[in-house]
Amino acid sequence: MIRRVLFVVLVLYIVVPLLMPIIFSFSVFWQDILPQGFTLRWYEAILTRPANYEALLVSLTVALGAVLLNGMIAVPAAYALNRAGPGWGRRLREGAVILPLLFPPLVVGTALLQAFTRPPLALTGTIWMVIIAHAILGFPFMFRIVLASFQTIDERTLSEAAASLGATFWQRMRYVLIPNVMPGILSGALLVFAISMGEFEVTSMVAGFTAQTLPLRLFQQIRNDMRIASAITAFLIYVSFLSFALMTYLGARMRRLRAS
Amino acid sequence: MPGVSAMTAALRGIRGEARRATRFFSVELLLLMPFLVFVGLFELYPILNMAFRSLFDQNGNFTLQNYINAFTKPQFQTAIRNSLLFATAASLVGGIGGTFVAALAVRLPVRWRNLLLSLYALPMTLSGLVVAFAFIVLLGRNGVLNLLIRRAFGLPPTVYFNLYDWPGIVMVYAFFQIPLMTLSMAAVFENLDPNLIEAARNLGAGPWQVWRHVVIPVLLPGFLAGMSIQFAGMMGAFGTVMALVGMAKNLLSLQIYSHASESTYNLPQAGALAMVLITITATGLALLSWGARRLARRRI
Repeated sequence: MIRRVLFVVLVLYIVVPLLMPIIFSFSVFWQDILPQGFTLRWYEAILTRPANYEALLVSLTVALGAVLLNGMIAVPAAYALNRAGPGWGRRLREGAVILPLLFPPLVVGTALLQAFTRPPLALTGTIWMVIIAHAILGFPFMFRIVLASFQTIDERTLSEAAASLGATFWQRMRYVLIPNVMPGILSGALLVFAISMGEFEVTSMVAGFTAQTLPLRLFQQIRNDMRIASAITAFLIYVSFLSFALMTYLGARMRRLRAS
Repeated sequence: MPGVSAMTAALRGIRGEARRATRFFSVELLLLMPFLVFVGLFELYPILNMAFRSLFDQNGNFTLQNYINAFTKPQFQTAIRNSLLFATAASLVGGIGGTFVAALAVRLPVRWRNLLLSLYALPMTLSGLVVAFAFIVLLGRNGVLNLLIRRAFGLPPTVYFNLYDWPGIVMVYAFFQIPLMTLSMAAVFENLDPNLIEAARNLGAGPWQVWRHVVIPVLLPGFLAGMSIQFAGMMGAFGTVMALVGMAKNLLSLQIYSHASESTYNLPQAGALAMVLITITATGLALLSWGARRLARRRI
């Protein structure tokens, strides 16, 4: 009984705060205890006001860019480091975990800001810098999930078996390894996407005026118009929630595949 | 002749080793290249560059003034002290809260546990602004909970939970920190072998002794690892504070932010403060891992 009560309390601890912006975003106004009226006007404002709509497009572009960049960096790195021995391989794997702790988004932002101000890499203030910064923040998540996938499918044994049947490196990749770790890659991609969509701290440092993302708009709107802020907040919650729902589905599918 | 065959075997062994090594370097290193180039160019180089530039003033003359400022200017001294206190407090709240949630989660039926843990993974991707907004609606000066409590007890509008002071800020960050700790501790609790506890009980250990000699030694390394993540994260946190109180609170992270991108623009000073922040975080991490290793040794 106590367990059941505690369970409900713990669920409410997460759900109640997150419901607030969602309720707010559908109400005409909310000054008292209960909100008044129902409207979709604030969501409409995201799509119809050019500044908001552009910020949405920038956010989507950046998030997709960060996912693609991580696909090219984190997936091969996870494969290579899964095979690397206990010496420098282990050191690099540990480094990939400790680096983001030592260099939080704030430090990465401060450093990126001043490193690329001149040609040939005058990236500060451009959307490229934001994509790179988000890729850095997303990397540890993508890397850990994909590395864990390579470990759970026992990549080495699988590769050796495929090789003994005469499969070349590319055939092993194409037909054996990639399909097996795909759920992991997709989960990592969703996580990177969701993190990038909500990222505010680094973005506000390196973005400048040309790459205004949705969270940057949200920061302005919290001071100006709480109702539009509520719609942006609610939208960001939906993005996180959908990403996790998909990840849970992928995880369940992966477990079912392994069982069969 | 045994000597010769041993030698050829050894040679073959060396050759095999070398072949394996070259094969490794051709494919695996190639696949590792994008990562090494990316981290080198976009993480290590910018940070070294920042460290180098923090040794010069804004006119390009060599100076240690930025570091002297960091430790002598009252505004920065307060910032460092506040950051240490805030990071420690928020980590303790997150660490202890998350451990309790995880301890409960592993005792729940599997379906409930999975639901709870999925739910507690959600804040990981949430923007600091989203959470700030949610708590402003819930607990701001005229937030729903404050209104409810005032109405219920007939209190005047001057009575409210103050979200915009340190306890409030710690509470909002707990929304990130408790779930984060829950996830890492749930894995640790699942590794806790119930047979071990059973065995200790059968040998006549009381509940306190079971905790002291069986449960805590198994949990502690994971707990300290979780605390490292908590502390490091909290030292660098600033988004949610900024959304709640702007620059009204003095934190090292906010000082860095404001010197890097706001009115008090002074990049070398921001760089020096960032180096101080990295040093504090590194010291905290080193202390926690030293503690974990010491405890591990004492257990044996």
